[in-house]
Amino acid sequence: MSNARLLVVEDNAALRKGLSIRLRANGYEVLVAADAISATAAITLEMPDLVILDLGLPSGNGFDVMARLQRSDPLANLPVIVLTGRDPAGNRSRALCAGAAAFFQKPMDDGALLATIHLALKVSRRKSHLEDSSLC
Amino acid sequence: VKEQSLQAAQGDQEQFSGNLANSSHELRNALACIFQFGNILVDGLAGELAPQQREYVAIILENAGIIRRVLDGVHDKHSGPPAKSSDRLDPNAAVEG
Repeated sequence: MSNARLLVVEDNAALRKGLSIRLRANGYEVLVAADAISATAAITLEMPDLVILDLGLPSGNGFDVMARLQRSDPLANLPVIVLTGRDPAGNRSRALCAGAAAFFQKPMDDGALLATIHLALKVSRRKSHLEDSSLC
Repeated sequence: VKEQSLQAAQGDQEQFSGNLANSSHELRNALACIFQFGNILVDGLAGELAPQQREYVAIILENAGIIRRVLDGVHDKHSGPPAKSSDRLDPNAAVEG
């Protein structure tokens, strides 16, 4: 599933860089955003295939970003993987209810994250393909 | 007096654990960076490592794993079961998602 465009939304500059290196090494094109407003702008302008989203962000939070996506028809199906240092108790179910495809607590396993990205992209592409077919 | 000292020590320990639980978000971000860049080095994404360098990075990752297990333990005590996040040193860990 290489060549997919991923948006990494992470306010920690070092982690943003580390994730970008890892994802690029696996063949993905990587876009980055450091806060909720830039994330929303990047999603609208760049239309990534998947978003890796931190919850604690400046100028909003990950839940705000997901709520905006859900309100937008073309973006409601965009796969979002939440990657946070926050306590999973409460946040995990809240994130999944808000539309996240998966929830990871930091520090995460790179292999598991990459496998989940691959799967989420596969499901998303199948869904788009089915929707396109049903239009014919 | 001994009983009082024991209770005070237990109180200090609980306060320490509570503080650690509250600051675990920041610690988890820092740990994620250590694992991320450690694994980038181990995987040769920044160039091949000499055997000695590889050994030292493995020591860093191993000790970061110890800190993570402590954090997970604190989390367990203060807010239920920990997330199943894992690093490369624990290949049997469950996959999140």
